Amino acid sequence: MSKAAILCVDDEVVVLNSLKIQLKREFGDAYVYEVAESADEALEIIDELQSEETDILVIVSDWLMPGIKGDEFLIRVHEKYPKIIKVMLTGQADETAIQRAKEKAALHNCLYKPWSSQELIATIKSGLEGL
Amino acid sequence: MNPDLKKNYKANILVVDDTPANLRLLVGMLTENGYKVRPVMDGELALTGAKAIPPDLILLDINMPKMNGYEVCEKLKENELTREIPVIFISALDDVLDKVKAFQVGGVDYVTKPFQVEEVLMRVETHLAIRQLEKNLITKNQDLEMTVQQLQNTQEQLIQSEKMAALGQLVAGIAHEINTPLGAIRSSVENIADFLKENLLQFPDFFNSLMPEYQQYFWEILHRSSEQKNSLSSKEKRQLKKSLIKELEAKEISNADTIADTLVDLGIYDRISSLVPLFQDEKGSQILEKAYQIASIQKSTDTIRTATEKAAKVVFALKNYARYDHTGEKVRSQIPEGIDTVLTLYNNQLKHGIEVTKDYEPNLPSLLCYPDELNQVWTNLIHNAIQAMDYKGHLAINITHQGDSLLVSITDSGKGIPPDIMPRIFEPFFTTKPPGEGSGLGLDIVQKIIQKHDGKIFAESVPGKTTFNVNLPLNPNS
Ligand SMILES: Nc1ncnc2c1ncn2[C@@H]1O[C@H](COP(=O)(O)OP(=O)(O)OP(=O)(O)O)[C@@H](O)[C@H]1O
Ligand SMILES: [Mg+2]
Repeated sequence: MSKAAILCVDDEVVVLNSLKIQLKREFGDAYVYEVAESADEALEIIDELQSEETDILVIVSDWLMPGIKGDEFLIRVHEKYPKIIKVMLTGQADETAIQRAKEKAALHNCLYKPWSSQELIATIKSGLEGL
Repeated sequence: MNPDLKKNYKANILVVDDTPANLRLLVGMLTENGYKVRPVMDGELALTGAKAIPPDLILLDINMPKMNGYEVCEKLKENELTREIPVIFISALDDVLDKVKAFQVGGVDYVTKPFQVEEVLMRVETHLAIRQLEKNLITKNQDLEMTVQQLQNTQEQLIQSEKMAALGQLVAGIAHEINTPLGAIRSSVENIADFLKENLLQFPDFFNSLMPEYQQYFWEILHRSSEQKNSLSSKEKRQLKKSLIKELEAKEISNADTIADTLVDLGIYDRISSLVPLFQDEKGSQILEKAYQIASIQKSTDTIRTATEKAAKVVFALKNYARYDHTGEKVRSQIPEGIDTVLTLYNNQLKHGIEVTKDYEPNLPSLLCYPDELNQVWTNLIHNAIQAMDYKGHLAINITHQGDSLLVSITDSGKGIPPDIMPRIFEPFFTTKPPGEGSGLGLDIVQKIIQKHDGKIFAESVPGKTTFNVNLPLNPNS
């Protein structure tokens, strides 16, 4: 069985780079890390990983992205993969969107940019503990 | 509201006649018919009485000693308080009634003695009614003037609030635009600090402990990583990672996926055969890992640089956008600057899917204008264009100097404006967008602002190509 994956979604490459460095530093090669620049691309990756029988444990997604927004994306993911831990990372708090994601996507937590590596790691760890 | 309605008489009438018998007759007749009557015997008394309590109508005898009716009427018309009171002249049948004179001095009608009761009443009633209508008209006019004033104020407020709405929509994007680079900066700083804490002391030892051939690999990795400049999309990187994994697995290298992932992060996508012996070595992973950590310092500083520039750019644009002119006077300003400001603020909505081409004629003259209001114009036009294209397509902005004006053209590749709605797009509240997405005020406000600059705006559209042309004169009339 292959390693489980953590997927990060953000339209900004600098954010993806930063997230990946932080995750790798903490979890090393315990997981595979995938990044996507849009929700559409993320959905593609999810299907691909699924077909390779790689489990996705955690998704960290931006909210304000062109195309499908973070809440909508996480809700779609939740419908198919309720077990994945979903974390939102947002530069701008849209309370109704967060509320929606909480209700309909069982959002684990919402982090606000600029985030700290500590919060990020703590959030992911607390999510993984619940599994 | 007519205050007389509250009283128990129809109207207040001043009757002026020097003949007591006439006076008595008129007073009796009018009182009987529900009027309140004040009788006076001469012109002087009539004038003071009329000024003290202006009546609704005056019945005025022409032939009087001292001051005749014409003179009294002229004096009444000279005074602000009594000017509007209708005057009906009374003349004896044997008087030489100068009708022309009666009207010239401001009378509205006349009755002749001996009186026909019905006639007098009719005329009095008619003129009271006319006066009442006049009064109503005046109040109506005042109401109308007030309404127009209120509408103008409301419109001003709408312009203000529309500006706020446009800004409000932008603010969401802008908070994101600033917090995103800040997030990248913060995590990069943390990353660098962590690295230094963990590695600074051990690093020389680690490096010295490496055999020269490992040192060689180490440098090669770092060198190739720093060489790597072109930025690939996450999708492309994933493809490269996959082929690297295959290549490594073919060489029977364990944990090929981790190695491939790290290589891609390092910007090493191909030509790995020289590195294969390293990965086959048990020390290989550790050396790659160290190189990755050092390279990520490099990456983090790059991130900080790009992110700082980005945040600074947004803040700069924001400052420009809100450049508020407290004097209310025009300022010399460069049109391209304003447009670039708006483009920067819309970056978030433009950068995916919309290709922006700018063609600004070099050395454009500055324009005496209200820069923040023109920014509103560009905001509305660009916002409309983005919406019309549904966030995908081509946005072209051209600025040229034509004779004594500047021509700004904003062209989008969106769905276009159907000919039947084209005549209506500048109407306030005309919108084809669902509630929440458009109030229909955008173009109305745009047009108002352009008119304020003595400019013109016109649109041309076919599906796939819609252009809004804004013509701004360099020497406006005002
Ligand atoms: N570039 C464009 N392409 C296609 N249609 C347009 C374009 N610009 C304006 N329109 C049409 O003109 C209408 C009026 O535009 P206007 O900017 O006044 O209002 P709005 O965009 O609907 O609302 P608001 O600007 O208040 O958010 C739009 O609803 C749209 O139908
Ligand atoms: Mg509009």
